[in-house]
Amino acid sequence: MAAPVANAGVQQDEVGQAPGDIWANDYVNYEFPWGGDDRVQFKAYHDYESMRERMLRLAEDNPEFLEFHEGLNGGVNARGETTTEETYKGWFYQHPSPWMKITMDVEGGEYNAFVGDSGNYADRPDILIVGNHHAREWMSYEVPMFFLETLVFSMNNPDYDNDGDGRIDEDPWGDGDGDGILDDDGDCLSLAPEHQDSDGDGIPCGPGDLGVDEDYSENWIVSLVESREIYLVPMLNVDGNRYDREEYCGETAWENCATSGWRKNLRDNDYSGSGPFPDLDEQVDEGCDGVDLNRNYEYEWGAPLGATGPLIPGDCIAGTTNNDVYNGPPDLPIDDEDGDGLFNEDDVDGNDDDRDGIVDEDPLGGNTEPETKFIQDLTEMNDDNKNGGSEFRATLTWHSFSELVLYPWGHCQNCDNPDQAQLRYHGDVLASYTNYENMQSSSLYPTTGDFCDWHYGVFESYCYTMEIGNAFHERPENVDDIAVRNVGVGFYMTWIADNPREKANLAIANISFTQFVTPPEDVVVPASGDLPIDVCISTAFPYTLNQNLSFVEWRLVRPSRIQSDFGPREWQAEPWTETGFGVVKEASCTLLDGANGTVLRAMLPVPDDLSGQVHYRVVLGTLSGSELFTYPGNEAYHVLSIAYRASYGGTFGALVMFLFIAGTVWGGLGIALRTMLSDDEAKVNLADALLEEEVDA
Amino acid sequence: MSGQSDEFSGRLGLIFATIGAAIGTGNIWRFPRMVGANGGGTFLIPWLLFLFIWSIPLVIAEFAMGKRSRTGTIGTFRIFTGKRFAWMGLWTAWISTAIGFYYAVVAGWCLKYFQLGLSGGLTENGVDTVQVWNEFLQAPGQVIFYQFLVVLLTLLAISRGAKAIEKVNVVLMTSLMVLLVLTMFMALSMDFRDGTLDGALFMFTVDWSNLFNAEIWINALSQSAWSASAGMGMAITYAVYMRKDEDTTLNAFVMGLANNSVSIIAGLTVLSAIFAVEADPLATVTGGSSAITFLALPEVFAQAPGGALGPFFMMAGFFLALSFAALTSMISTVELCVRNFVDHGYERSQSVWLTGVAIFLFGLPSALLWIKLDGEGVAYPEFLEVQDHIWGYGLMFSGLFIAYTIWRYGFLKWKAQVEAGEAEPGLAGYLNVGVSGFRDDFINTGDNDLWIGRWWDLLLYLAFPVLFSVLMISYFGSMIANTEDVWNPLNPHGLGIILAFWGVVAALFLWFNRYLVMRPVYRNVPEGAQVDISMLPGGNDPLVLQLGDDLPDLVNVNQG
Repeated sequence: MAAPVANAGVQQDEVGQAPGDIWANDYVNYEFPWGGDDRVQFKAYHDYESMRERMLRLAEDNPEFLEFHEGLNGGVNARGETTTEETYKGWFYQHPSPWMKITMDVEGGEYNAFVGDSGNYADRPDILIVGNHHAREWMSYEVPMFFLETLVFSMNNPDYDNDGDGRIDEDPWGDGDGDGILDDDGDCLSLAPEHQDSDGDGIPCGPGDLGVDEDYSENWIVSLVESREIYLVPMLNVDGNRYDREEYCGETAWENCATSGWRKNLRDNDYSGSGPFPDLDEQVDEGCDGVDLNRNYEYEWGAPLGATGPLIPGDCIAGTTNNDVYNGPPDLPIDDEDGDGLFNEDDVDGNDDDRDGIVDEDPLGGNTEPETKFIQDLTEMNDDNKNGGSEFRATLTWHSFSELVLYPWGHCQNCDNPDQAQLRYHGDVLASYTNYENMQSSSLYPTTGDFCDWHYGVFESYCYTMEIGNAFHERPENVDDIAVRNVGVGFYMTWIADNPREKANLAIANISFTQFVTPPEDVVVPASGDLPIDVCISTAFPYTLNQNLSFVEWRLVRPSRIQSDFGPREWQAEPWTETGFGVVKEASCTLLDGANGTVLRAMLPVPDDLSGQVHYRVVLGTLSGSELFTYPGNEAYHVLSIAYRASYGGTFGALVMFLFIAGTVWGGLGIALRTMLSDDEAKVNLADALLEEEVDA
Repeated sequence: MSGQSDEFSGRLGLIFATIGAAIGTGNIWRFPRMVGANGGGTFLIPWLLFLFIWSIPLVIAEFAMGKRSRTGTIGTFRIFTGKRFAWMGLWTAWISTAIGFYYAVVAGWCLKYFQLGLSGGLTENGVDTVQVWNEFLQAPGQVIFYQFLVVLLTLLAISRGAKAIEKVNVVLMTSLMVLLVLTMFMALSMDFRDGTLDGALFMFTVDWSNLFNAEIWINALSQSAWSASAGMGMAITYAVYMRKDEDTTLNAFVMGLANNSVSIIAGLTVLSAIFAVEADPLATVTGGSSAITFLALPEVFAQAPGGALGPFFMMAGFFLALSFAALTSMISTVELCVRNFVDHGYERSQSVWLTGVAIFLFGLPSALLWIKLDGEGVAYPEFLEVQDHIWGYGLMFSGLFIAYTIWRYGFLKWKAQVEAGEAEPGLAGYLNVGVSGFRDDFINTGDNDLWIGRWWDLLLYLAFPVLFSVLMISYFGSMIANTEDVWNPLNPHGLGIILAFWGVVAALFLWFNRYLVMRPVYRNVPEGAQVDISMLPGGNDPLVLQLGDDLPDLVNVNQG
């Protein structure tokens, strides 16, 4: 690499460069600097064993900030139940979920006997990252593993030149310099077009392509590890994952199971459910067994949307229901968890359903599986500051597929949550990191009892579900670039874990300054009809189209119909009215900071026959309505002069009217004059009359 | 004072004089603006309707009163309404004169622009009409000079009485018509350069959906009430000079119809010219009257076809016509005042010069004070505007007093007949004798070709009070609703200042009434005219005399 690479970004070569002209060969070939075999290089999938071995190896090599764990020690949990190590082992293969505790001086800090980890610091915000709830979603543990590799390498190699172009930290994740372009150093964009889509996803210089977000700051990662506690659970559903790989689809699942495979854990519904029939062969019954772990969390568990299962648990008839999203057995036999004589009367939904002063103390069900108990007890027992809440102010779970970023709620549709705007804001950032689509979870489809609803609903933890890629089992040659595309997400979530709400509010407020409403001189007044008023908003701004929160406030101002004859022009203002926005999909705009924005347009019903002014200002609400931004700002408004646009009239109608008016007035005058002057002495014409006057004078 | 009556030489003279009084700047600069601001042809429907149900009936009444009383406004109210009500005539005269104070200034502007038109000072390339206007208005010497010129011309026209007035009016009105028609055709041809007569089209297109817009109807009523000079005492004054058997009703129709005829022509001229040139003609015509006339029209006229000649003619012609319209209205205004002095025994020439000096002096503040710049950087005379604000609506009360006179006469006549056993008591009797009393005794006298029917009673007794109330309530209502600090008499745009001035003037006049009626009034009665006033409240007033009569002895006066 002798080329003057520093100029790479600004070269305006018609043909463009080849990757080899700019970057080191290792980087060009997706060879990651930590070495290792194909699995460690993400050219082949880990399986449970190899993943666990790699985690152990990394923990062994980096004891100052990594601590390997499996499951929990158990003890008396937050709700008074006694658990053991066994509680958290999968039903079938009996593995506890492996996980990594990541924080600087992990051997220091406090020791948590229930969880089994040390390195608990009350002043370090915690973040929980969980992969592979669903067994067949193999990328959902590869991405956390890639996160782990990246983190470990960065800890050991600060100031590393990731792409070998001679510069360091020149292209962080996301749009570092706020110009609307991910490729901050412009090196990917300087490539010849045929090289710009190195991951072959059809998007040139998108996330995952060579040269995009490739040179993040290792020191930033170091600072995160020093200031956060990261709980990384790459493979939650070990049981299901082994079954999918070893039995259901096979080692080369991408060939036969690209968009199918085993989803759930391996609960034996024929046997250990509450049904009467024993499962004689002790094998997994493909038609009936298993619980969808991401429907088994307690929050709004079993609500009618989005979860199904055997009508009578244990009495499973294969193929009769959509067994794939079975949310686990209800709380049977009847269990009076609060001992008040009532059964399952206070479900976990944030409401005190039985009005006994205690909220959510006697749920209907959920949290029945070893894997979900592991997450739940980890969350509830990892209480560094002993306040009874969760330390995880940010939570992240990896899934496949559809290339989506999902935020709560999942259990209800068209229902905003109190942090809607902030959640959408961070979701938009994650979407920009990955070029995924950000949406409220239930907009995709409703789900009940999922990971994020529980974390957000019970603990107000900002929780995201990432849907990776385009298949459950991606082809192995894509593992590396998909992992690259997604790795920034984990670090971003780690960064916001200290106070995600405040970080969103600050960012939204900053974004709001880059947005603007079209000033009068740029408004295009149509020849007739409604007047379009646009606002240019950042793609990261969590706007709402709710007409009560986002609208153009406007009024017509006409010249007063009664003007003073001698004074200045007087205006008459009509009352202010409000008109809501719609998104203009085909249009784009440039924000004040130069980035690309989205166009929201309100069509003001301004009458064609207005000749006067339209006063307008814009109120833009965030999703939850917690923040309102006004443009041009405060109480100010824009003044747009509008010329008369209606027709001046039709010839025929005007002619008839002219004949009527002129006929009446001029004709009437003629008749009156003739009658007067036809009198005896005044029978004179005008000329005679004038002559007569002269004579008189 | 000569004992001979002063009268118009003929029917045409009367017609021209009354038309000259009616036609003023209200036709030429206010009407086109009102049409523009009120939806074009939509406005014309109520405008035409109100001519027949408001303006003409009132003028008929005025003519009838003046022709019988043969005195100016003070004498007319003294005779028709009674001694206690002479102040109503004083009010009517005062309002007209107070308007005359600043009207002379405005007429001066018109003359100035005629002069500018002649000198070509507004049609050169790159002339900024706002700058020209601002510089003119902010130069007191200029404004006063033209104001003085107007007063002088007016005095010259009227100093010699009715015959001079009619001659001046014949010349000026004829010229005005010719000039206006010529500029109208030029404006139409300008507008037709793009193949459409947009201005005419707009002016005559009715937006039926907007036809019952209350605001348009109220504006049409105010335009009709103002521009035809109905109820202002003009017709009373000019009726004094009628020959003995003049047809008052036809005269009223001619006056009203001629007024509206000129409005149509002026509307076509102004709208066509503006629609021919301006990008947003509606924005231009909905501004203030003086802005249209002195800012927009010069700009528009400068683009008239025909090389240098077209713009020259349009500018000079239009502003000359405007000046003539203003002058003739000025003449009637001054004459209204002068007539009252003459009635009370003053020499005509003395009265004329006294009035002239007063009008000039009291007009000076309007010419000089508070010349301000509005938000668009255009100068405007705020003192003048405030004067207009205060006295403009005072005119409405002059009209109300006339209606009151008619109601009162009918009621007293019916009551007297009931007492004499000639009429039935009760509503039926009142309707038969009382309501039609004024019409029977003073309108349908036999001199008129046109017999006025029951419809006139209906209009005066029903339509007039309703329309009067609507106009006052809507005007003051919107002022109260839209003006900050509306009751503060120091706010020049509020209601408080209007009521304060009205109150002071009315109180003063009421107090002065007793002294007013101590003076004899001399009626200007032509020889052989039927001017019996014995049935009127002022009929037994010993101080109501005819020209040439001797004063009765003072004992009788005090008994009277």
